[in-house]
Amino acid sequence: MQENYLAKWLNNELSETELSEFKKSDAYATYMKILNASKQLEAPNFDADSAYENFKNAQDIQDVKVVPLRPFKSFLRVAAVIVILLTGSYFFVNSLDESYSTQLAERTKVVLPDNSKIILNADSKISFSEKKWDKERNVALTGEAFFKVAKGKKFTVSTEAGTVSVLGTQFNVENRADFFEVTCYEGLVSVLYKNKEQKLPAGTSFLVVNGKIMDDTAIKNGQPSWVNNESSFKSIPLKYVLAEFERQYNVKVKTENVDTNQLFTGTFSNTAIKIALESISTPSKISYKLEGENVLFYGEDTP
Amino acid sequence: MSNVCEEQIFGSVFKANSKTIFNYIYYKFGNEEKANDAVQEAFVKLWENCAKVTPEKAKSYLYTVANNLYLNVIKAEKVRLKYADLHSNAISNESPEYILEEKQFKQKLDNALNDLPENQRTTFLLNRIDGKKYAEIAEMEGVSIKAIEKRMHLALKSLREKIDGI
Repeated sequence: MQENYLAKWLNNELSETELSEFKKSDAYATYMKILNASKQLEAPNFDADSAYENFKNAQDIQDVKVVPLRPFKSFLRVAAVIVILLTGSYFFVNSLDESYSTQLAERTKVVLPDNSKIILNADSKISFSEKKWDKERNVALTGEAFFKVAKGKKFTVSTEAGTVSVLGTQFNVENRADFFEVTCYEGLVSVLYKNKEQKLPAGTSFLVVNGKIMDDTAIKNGQPSWVNNESSFKSIPLKYVLAEFERQYNVKVKTENVDTNQLFTGTFSNTAIKIALESISTPSKISYKLEGENVLFYGEDTP
Repeated sequence: MSNVCEEQIFGSVFKANSKTIFNYIYYKFGNEEKANDAVQEAFVKLWENCAKVTPEKAKSYLYTVANNLYLNVIKAEKVRLKYADLHSNAISNESPEYILEEKQFKQKLDNALNDLPENQRTTFLLNRIDGKKYAEIAEMEGVSIKAIEKRMHLALKSLREKIDGI
């Protein structure tokens, strides 16, 4: 028998001898039955006319003139808009300065692109341009921060009150309302205040309170005390001390019958509020009340 | 130059092929709904590309689209076929035994058809029900005539073995 003889048989392609041989086989009867039965088979109903109607309704083939759709064209339009928006925002975002800020009672460390380090004290903010960093090391500061500047080109800290420039050193800059203090811990710092430049050697500081340059001679430790969780003051009007206290503990301070211009020299803890309150009130000979987030300092003779 | 985009030609292509496409997909997967969808889908594609497809190529284009539509996507269900009631209006001279036997045979054939591999069943039914020549089936399936003959041969062989209980 030839290959696929059953298929050939159906097509009447078997030779006479093959056919008679096939007819003699036992299976032949069943094959004939299969053929007869399958002649009666029917597929499910399918109405070509109604299918065509459905198709026409879906396509509007009759009345509407065929306008070739160009889905790619509208896709291109959308894509172009997206690309423009993306590139635009990319350059916009890129041109924005990097900025870091701290909330009240918070502190953070920032490492600059050249590995210079900044510790930000409570309620402070720095910003700098990462893109231009290679050309000029320029940091804008509000609040207070301690800088450990890596050696290199001129490093500038701009504040509202004045500008501090260095080459590579450690120094602290504090610029609060009516208060501007720069302390140099290592190397040499140049402070530009009201167009006057002043050099600060290591271990000295420059202080302006309320627009008045104060004599402010220096410090002992290699770092500002706040880095070690203490706030230190030397002959500073009490109101700035209280303002710092508010920032460190995120509390509201009120005073009654207290001369907030009296000078304060001392240190308070930035981690233990009770001890800090004692450290401020005892030397100033005032009393305090702590209620939740409110602190009231009052003079001895207040009822 | 005739073009499938002309409604006249498109309509005749639709009427000439839609039923076979329906059956073709039905024999493969046993799902009427999908078979109807396949018809619509295939002609939508043809309509969209009517400028590119010549009337001669339209047929194989349709089968390619319909075939690709459910490639590996749906699982074959039971193929349910009806039997034409050839005796309904004729006076039957056959004995009840014969009629019962015939009924049992059809039942066996049904089961055997469902057990066939999808490509063998499709070839067998396109040939038996739709009277398609091996060459036409080969064109639909995109294989050689010899491959269709092989499928036909194997289909018959397994149907017979199944029915005779071999």
